[in-house]
Amino acid sequence: MRGFADDREFRAGFKAMLPACIGIAPFGLVCGVGAAAAGASTLGALGLSAIVFSGAAQILAVQLLAAGAPLAVIVLTCFVAGLRFVIYSAAMAPYLRPLPARWQQGLAFLLTDQAFAASVRRFDAGGDPRGGGMYFLGGGFALWSFWQLANIAGFFVGNLIPAAWSLDFAVPLCFIALVAPHFRSFPTISAALVSACAVIAFAGLPMKLNLIVAGLIGIAAGTLADFVQERWTPR
Amino acid sequence: MDTALKLWSVVLIVGALNYLSRLSFIALFARRRVPPLLARAFRYVPAAMLTALVVPMVVAAPGGAWLPALPKIAAALVAGIVAFVTHSQLKTLGSGMLTLWVLQALAPRFG
Repeated sequence: MRGFADDREFRAGFKAMLPACIGIAPFGLVCGVGAAAAGASTLGALGLSAIVFSGAAQILAVQLLAAGAPLAVIVLTCFVAGLRFVIYSAAMAPYLRPLPARWQQGLAFLLTDQAFAASVRRFDAGGDPRGGGMYFLGGGFALWSFWQLANIAGFFVGNLIPAAWSLDFAVPLCFIALVAPHFRSFPTISAALVSACAVIAFAGLPMKLNLIVAGLIGIAAGTLADFVQERWTPR
Repeated sequence: MDTALKLWSVVLIVGALNYLSRLSFIALFARRRVPPLLARAFRYVPAAMLTALVVPMVVAAPGGAWLPALPKIAAALVAGIVAFVTHSQLKTLGSGMLTLWVLQALAPRFG
């Protein structure tokens, strides 16, 4: 670790990620509270945040566990919510291609919404691929460490936070921060609007299955809108 | 199923699936060409999935009263505009929480 900590790019990536680390802290606290409420042991809660390392999947998993949903439903819901990592993976792939396989396998584990956004900017700025990889590693390491701290804090002392603070609301705000900046094209807005209507229309489905249904319908709507836009755009 | 066993099953299976999703194009299909339709659909996964996650956390539960949900809806709209304009995660979080706190403090006067 000493070698990494001395690396200029690693430190730059670590430092650049600190605001995002503060931003995700309330979300991590809420996940820790949720794990405690679902009856997880200390080690179980730590395993969830350290290995799954995805706020969306963690919050869905603990809520569904607490509601007594079957394992298959929990796994399917978390998997579909995690499908966006496939997109990030595809977008990062060209940047990571020059790096050794070991690096690719390690950095893939640290791929999150925030790390993706920060690293694409750094890779686009140019320079050698190794520097970009180190920058990504520093940012990913910062996020992972802070995420564990926030989850542990939420697990142990989360119940001390007054309900009047509405800390739970930090969770949708984190997702809004990720998705709202993309509402610039007709297909993206279509995907979001249709998904929003579908998730309400199918709210009667048990065990949050409306999330998967709405997600898939929204993706279909976005794809369709993309075809329509392409057809109607004058060349 | 025992709670601990179920939780660890979730940790290991979801952890593995999430890792495979993250690894997919970086390593697994690095040399494959993505079918054009799939590539097109992929672009809309974040917008559709993140919206599906956000909406139930903001609006009222079906059959529930709408009035108590209004502060959250207003706060989410403010946060959305701030996110769209500033691209800043911290400003989005700050403006959203602040709007919610102010409206919740004012709500009893209109109740």
